[in-house]
Amino acid sequence: MSIGALAQSIINGFSSAGIYILVALGLTLVLSIVNIVQLSHGEIYMIGAYSVYYMVVSLGLNFFLALVISTLLIGGLGILLERLCFRPFRGQPDRAMIISIGLILVLQSVVLSIAGGTPRSYSSPFTGVLQILGASISWERLVILLIGFGLIAVLFLFVRMTKTGQAMLAISQDREGAALQGININRISAVAMFLGCGLAAIGGALVGSLFSISPTMGSFALMKGIAVIILGGLGSIPGAVVGGLILGLIDGIMPVLATTYLAGLIGFGAIIIILIFRPQGIWGHE
Amino acid sequence: MLKIEGLTKYFGGLAAVSGLDMSVNSGDIAGLIGPNGAGKTTVFNLVTGFLRPTKGRVTFEGKDITVKKPHSIAEKGMVRTFQATNIFPDFTVLKNIVLACHLKPKIGLWETVLHTRSSQHKEKDILQRSQKILGMVGMEAMADITAGTLAHGHKRLLGIAIALAAEPKLLLLDEPLSGMNAEEVSETMRVINRLWQSGITILLIEHNMRAAMNLCQRIVVLNFGKKIAEGSPEEIKGNNDVIQAYLGAG
Amino acid sequence: MNKRLLIQILSYGVLIIFMFLLPLFFPGLYVTHVLILIVINIILASSLRLINLTGQMSLAHGGMMTIGAYTSTLLVMKLGISSWAALLLAGFSAAIIACLVGFPFVRLKGIYFSMVTIFLAQMVTLTVQQWRSMTGGSSGIYNIPRPDPIVIPGILNITFTSSVNCYYLVLVILLVSLIMLYAIEHSRIGLTFRGIQQSDSLAESVGMNTTGFKVLAFSIGCFFPGLTGGFYSQYIMAINPDTFSFLFAIYILIYMIVGGSGKFIGPILGAFILTVLPEVMRPLKQFQPFFFAGVLMLVIFLMPEGIVGLPRRLKVVAGRLFKEREERA
Repeated sequence: MSIGALAQSIINGFSSAGIYILVALGLTLVLSIVNIVQLSHGEIYMIGAYSVYYMVVSLGLNFFLALVISTLLIGGLGILLERLCFRPFRGQPDRAMIISIGLILVLQSVVLSIAGGTPRSYSSPFTGVLQILGASISWERLVILLIGFGLIAVLFLFVRMTKTGQAMLAISQDREGAALQGININRISAVAMFLGCGLAAIGGALVGSLFSISPTMGSFALMKGIAVIILGGLGSIPGAVVGGLILGLIDGIMPVLATTYLAGLIGFGAIIIILIFRPQGIWGHE
Repeated sequence: MLKIEGLTKYFGGLAAVSGLDMSVNSGDIAGLIGPNGAGKTTVFNLVTGFLRPTKGRVTFEGKDITVKKPHSIAEKGMVRTFQATNIFPDFTVLKNIVLACHLKPKIGLWETVLHTRSSQHKEKDILQRSQKILGMVGMEAMADITAGTLAHGHKRLLGIAIALAAEPKLLLLDEPLSGMNAEEVSETMRVINRLWQSGITILLIEHNMRAAMNLCQRIVVLNFGKKIAEGSPEEIKGNNDVIQAYLGAG
Repeated sequence: MNKRLLIQILSYGVLIIFMFLLPLFFPGLYVTHVLILIVINIILASSLRLINLTGQMSLAHGGMMTIGAYTSTLLVMKLGISSWAALLLAGFSAAIIACLVGFPFVRLKGIYFSMVTIFLAQMVTLTVQQWRSMTGGSSGIYNIPRPDPIVIPGILNITFTSSVNCYYLVLVILLVSLIMLYAIEHSRIGLTFRGIQQSDSLAESVGMNTTGFKVLAFSIGCFFPGLTGGFYSQYIMAINPDTFSFLFAIYILIYMIVGGSGKFIGPILGAFILTVLPEVMRPLKQFQPFFFAGVLMLVIFLMPEGIVGLPRRLKVVAGRLFKEREERA
């Protein structure tokens, strides 16, 4: 295998990892702070893709502008969902999970009825390839990688350096303790939902620009998100990054060596092994 | 009967229990006391398999049970109650006990699914035994009440009854008198005494000093996870370290 | 035998007889197919409830169906085993896999357990897609034979070329399954499951091996979708890895929740009503997901106990209304 192909697959791996991490971070934020398995997370991701698609294709907006507007809107949607659907069930995560199941159905059908079931694609704003070491690396992939990891870095700074971020960390580690310290759970949950849905939306939009969009693209994202969280650690934010990197790189490199399915299988195999010995994942604390 | 050697438990960098050596002999009624946060419930958790010790050894009737799971420790004859009220809230009081009779007699899985005659016979025995146990704690009249609706004091008593169903040789009671009014306290103390007299070895954690001194023959005092004193109630009452520990802890 | 048990047996008996007679009243391939789906969904929802008795919500039923379907198909088509043995082995293969992964899984609480079951189902699908040499990969397997005929020379010759006979077969499977599930639930095992759901630590402290029991519930609960998957593959005569998707597992959970997970008959009602209704509403098929979501939200917000909780809810509401009247008087 040539250096070029290897470089390409590594870049692919990292860009996939970036997306997985975005999705998984969103899911884990909601999981550890709002304490809910937000199963419609994949649908939020899908809505992100569609939202940007429509803004770019039908409204002619610049991709980045569309991305920002969509993220804000969908983050807002997340806040609404938290208020209406999840807050009444705080303390009853099983019930809340079922509500999120209902949301899967609702969100998917809404998009289906508006946009129809056929997949669509649009040309990415970043065309062309970068020639390095005899490898052609598409700009698209590179940009996704940069945006993805850039966002992750921003998120980490946010968590480290802002009061809200620290509050989020506190809640994810010890809910009761955080509440006793005077942290406003309502407000932080809303922020977590905003970020969680926003991240998913960005992930969907980036993937949508690279590949295609379809109303069922969400389940793939959900599955990957869950796999990353289980691998990296339930309830752990750094774990999501580690898990995402591992799975993303496997998915990026394996297809060059074998088939795509095998990549997924190896990834899942690793997780099962980890689950047997350490059910809470690499970093988890349950 | 129960021998604890060098029992140590670290949570992160904090030692909740540190190098504890103590033993309980068959027929004893012993107490484990200490200020809040001294590590008493942690000791119970470690000894009964709910927590894994960082270091140390626990031996019950000569057998090493340090890493055993709670259910197999219960099978060997050591049963604990819980500091936070722990019952089966959706079942009736009687059903709580009937379920807790899981160990004795052992009913096979196939037996019970097929509702064989022998299993039905065993269930009848269990029913009788359950009613007797309720009698022992004075709750026969409440057999059909849903456990979740009981008053706090009765819930604690039910917790003890549930432990009894497992026919323990050694009964570990975690603050059995907590949250009880004076009348409930004396009633429960009477029950505990009766249980001891019927041959059950008892180790109890209690905050209520007078009760602990009254009930127990021997007392071990813990502070910051370490044993600071051991002896008869009179000895403990006069022990300066003990007095300091309680005053210091405020 | 006490009166209550007698009434229960009689009502179930009437129900069973009714279901046996249905094809006579509603003949036709399409209706028969719907009836088969109803029966399958009842088996699935009821077995999901067994797992739920210990307080765990499994979303692996779809994956278990896939395991059963492929096990049965491969045994019949590659090894020439009788379809009846294959059916049983389909159930057992699902149960065994559930048992193996169950041990690490049940250590996780609540929603985390649900998450790993989702992941398990995904893993099954991926394995099937990957193992192309055995399973035909994504394209699936076709021309699966119907169940072997039951032949007792001179007396019986039942073939399964007709859908109606398949319906009767699955009805028998339903009967046996419900009896098994009922027996388990009303035995000490069922009592132990429910105790574990209420207080895991308490059960453990009096000698119950909670991990073992949770795995038992999960394994037994997964036997039935395995068996049903095997049947389905023989009935539809084709399978592919996406037949029993994540959405499928979700629908079964919805049947159980809407019907009510608190009573034995809950999932039966839920599965029945929610399988029939979409068929009745066929002209409005595109609204089906909305409808389901709506029903689900309604139940969760207003009647968390599901349909079986309705009589009690109405009593409470009625009681409150009458109390107000009294207070005004």
